[in-house]
Amino acid sequence: MTAPVATSDVARAFGDETAVDGVDLEVRNGEIHAIVGLNGAGKTTLMRLLLGMLRPDRGRATVMGFDALDAPSSVWRDVGHLIEQPFAYPELTVRENLRASAVLHALSPPALDADVEDAIEMFELGKWADRRAGTLSLGNRQRLGLASALVHRPQIVILDEPANALDPAGIVFIRDLLQRLAGNDAVVLVSSHHFDQLARVADTITVMHRGRVVGSLDPGGVDLEQRFFDLVHRADLAWGANRR
Amino acid sequence: MTASLRVEWWKLRRSRVVLVATALMGLLLPGMGLGFYSVALNGGTGGLAGKAGALLIGEGWVGYLGFVDQISAVALFLGSGVVVAWMFGREHADRTFPALFALPVSRGAIAGAKFVVLTVWLAALTLLVGLVALVLGLAAGVGPVDAALITELLRLLGIGITAGMLALTMGLVASIGRGYLAAIGAMSVIVAAAQVAVLFGTGGWFPFAVPGLLAIAGSEGAPELTAVQVALIPGLTMAGVWATIVWWRRAEVV
Repeated sequence: MTAPVATSDVARAFGDETAVDGVDLEVRNGEIHAIVGLNGAGKTTLMRLLLGMLRPDRGRATVMGFDALDAPSSVWRDVGHLIEQPFAYPELTVRENLRASAVLHALSPPALDADVEDAIEMFELGKWADRRAGTLSLGNRQRLGLASALVHRPQIVILDEPANALDPAGIVFIRDLLQRLAGNDAVVLVSSHHFDQLARVADTITVMHRGRVVGSLDPGGVDLEQRFFDLVHRADLAWGANRR
Repeated sequence: MTASLRVEWWKLRRSRVVLVATALMGLLLPGMGLGFYSVALNGGTGGLAGKAGALLIGEGWVGYLGFVDQISAVALFLGSGVVVAWMFGREHADRTFPALFALPVSRGAIAGAKFVVLTVWLAALTLLVGLVALVLGLAAGVGPVDAALITELLRLLGIGITAGMLALTMGLVASIGRGYLAAIGAMSVIVAAAQVAVLFGTGGWFPFAVPGLLAIAGSEGAPELTAVQVALIPGLTMAGVWATIVWWRRAEVV
């Protein structure tokens, strides 16, 4: 059976620049799957392919067995994502942004109001609930973006660098959040630069480099960062040899 | 589409761009019209009075609303165009565009909802300009409530509708340009091109010049405007709306 989130030989280039090149990936329920890589490794492009934001040049990116480009609305009802910028319209208050996200995710009253208030409490946004998002600090905007992505309690969660702009307490919060989501049998795909954070929460760590999967890391192992650079270095050597 | 309509309405209602544009156009256009009319009536041949006098197309409501019409023909297109460009371009400028993917609501529905709330706003803006113009004119004693007033108010309504429809086409430019600056640049070029088209006597066939021609239609020396030429505007608008929705359905996050 196909995993809820999967790619098969998926590839995408921008002009001459290959961003993702033949990636196979499977993320299952209850799993926290982390993707790590240097800047430009293809992590964000892979997530965009999975969310229907890009058309693959080759291969497939599927969510619940449907091609991401034409998945029905019933599939997206169960998906929450945060790619790069948070869902935070500067002219709307925190509460209004959350209501907007909830409405767009097909929630309706009275569940909508209860879920919005729950998200405000869970993401510790109560103090800023009636402030315009444009006046928030970067960290609180990120919290709002995460709350907007999760306000409808999705079963599939795709987060690109969710710890961006967060303070150490926020990073601990994210770690706990990811574990809670996976504990509720959600599918969690996350990219991150924080190896310590990944070591504590991820079930699977996939390493991407130059658009390809170049290996995986054992989250329980020691010195993740060193092993990551070893994989990247070996991939670079192989890439150089192939070019010659 | 109900969900996207609600969200787009919240965004429009809270926007400072929309608030400022509504206030400026609603108050300034009739105010400027009355100012020019007063200057023109008070005579003089030099400077502003001379220029205003040359543009005066009649007395009473015809003269006063004639000024409001001529100013509104350009200003309503530009001002409304800025709001339309903001509605579509801000998703790129504020980088909220990716958040509109992978939702139960399609991006085509979101673009459609933007057009619906913009159409309601444009209609309200046109009515506001007409109402303020009426109140200002009555307060200034421009003339009694008569048939000329009704005719000129209907002409102002026609200018508001046509300028507003043309402004909606800026949604496509802002979408393709992935920001509002492209549309603002396009509007500058369009206004200049409309002037040139009118100078060469072909303005009627250039839809963006039609609101300006409507403002002076029927006055001495004004070029004739045919129904076919006016009908080009809804055609162009519908094509623009359709193309914008198709763009939103097919666009990628790049």
